Amino acid sequence: MKKIIVDDMLLTKDLPTTAGSKMLEGYMSLFEAEAISRLNGAGYTISGKAEVGEFAIDLICETNYKGAFVKKGKLASPVAEMLEGDAEAAVCMDVNGSVRRAAAQNSLVSIKPTYGTVSRFGTVPVACSGETVSVMAKSADNCEAVLSIIAGHDDKDGTSLSDEDCAKAKEVSPMRRIAVLGNMLKDTDLAVARKIEIFRENLAAKGIEVCEINSDVIAASSAAWNVLMCAELCNNVSRYDGVKYGYRAENFSGIDELYTNSRTEAFGELLKCAILFGSDTLSTENYMKVYDKSLRVRRVVSEAFNALFEQYDAVMMPACSSFDYSEDIEDTAVFEENYYTAPASITGLPAVVIDGVQLVGKAFSEGSLLAFAKEYEKEAK
Amino acid sequence: MERETLRLLEMLNQLRLTEEQKEKVISFCNNREAALKALDAIDTENVERMVHVMPVLTVVREDIVSQPYTAEELQQGAPETDEGYWCVPKVME
Repeated sequence: MKKIIVDDMLLTKDLPTTAGSKMLEGYMSLFEAEAISRLNGAGYTISGKAEVGEFAIDLICETNYKGAFVKKGKLASPVAEMLEGDAEAAVCMDVNGSVRRAAAQNSLVSIKPTYGTVSRFGTVPVACSGETVSVMAKSADNCEAVLSIIAGHDDKDGTSLSDEDCAKAKEVSPMRRIAVLGNMLKDTDLAVARKIEIFRENLAAKGIEVCEINSDVIAASSAAWNVLMCAELCNNVSRYDGVKYGYRAENFSGIDELYTNSRTEAFGELLKCAILFGSDTLSTENYMKVYDKSLRVRRVVSEAFNALFEQYDAVMMPACSSFDYSEDIEDTAVFEENYYTAPASITGLPAVVIDGVQLVGKAFSEGSLLAFAKEYEKEAK
Repeated sequence: MERETLRLLEMLNQLRLTEEQKEKVISFCNNREAALKALDAIDTENVERMVHVMPVLTVVREDIVSQPYTAEELQQGAPETDEGYWCVPKVME
């Protein structure tokens, strides 16, 4: 029996799902995520659920209601830690890049598939227009094996693409030219910069042409993604009110206090910041100026990527600014750190993380990204 | 962000912040406003909104019950229930 880890953003029938929040402590779902059903059907068993930060919007897992997962004074990823065991892979929700950061920092491989190719049915909704069920593993082979099982159309997910579209994601074409996003190389620490440099040298040695480009449009993805993510999050978490399920405050004098006390006591500080910022972007004053503008910027970013894919097979960028986050890093730092992950999140494009580096490909190119990652791994050995 | 705006947002979102948290949120939102200047630099004149990253049509299906849960099952995670009802404090005096 093959073993799989799932993160705590995916609903499971026999294990509680908390999404890292006190609001859902002990919550048992009546149904499970489609991705899990497909893996069970293919003979996998869940060997454990990995903790996530509250609603998976944080850096790595530091806002989990039970406390940050810390090793040697640095923030650590519970899912990466669990992958040191005998599980073949982990299926995780990439909401704000934490999966890709964890993969890059722990020398693991991750694949964020094209939006709509893996069902989000049975996942805790946060930023629905960009979040994707992703796979992390010790090897690209394992990522590919698990992705091939969970990908495909699902009637239960209104954003699920057709089987015909999903099949395109299995096609493989070789990487010949890769663009490196120069804007994103400026603020990384030395270890990340060195990793990128070595990766570039390895690509050149393989005969792949590497060109450095700059794109202010792609670099602006984070600003727009933060708006869209927080606006969607603010609506999605409005369901948690202490009435139908989830945490209920012990003390309240009326219905309004029940709602307010329950949410105030159960939600963490980063989540509250994100809710209030998201709500502000949707206000009459800011809707057109900020929210609507971000939706239009999303299209501009998407078109900028499409123009690049006319010339290049993938765009290379870091997945994080550092391979180590200090345990006392500000929780709001994620809104700067997603500079590296927001381009793929806001556009729904696939991204592979291999050897600490992120490659973003055109829509439905995950087959090619994983084929490249497999070859890269083989040569590295 | 003004404190009065924050007070309204807290009320709308059913949250209550401590003084320290209010300072943090105001500082956070003000930092975000600075970051939003990157958006202003992008010309979006005549650019359509992109709500969905992939072409998604309105999905409809036959109105068939596919997950026949009982009321009891659906209420199993509720903080307080009584004979099939969710319990909340009195809303009318």
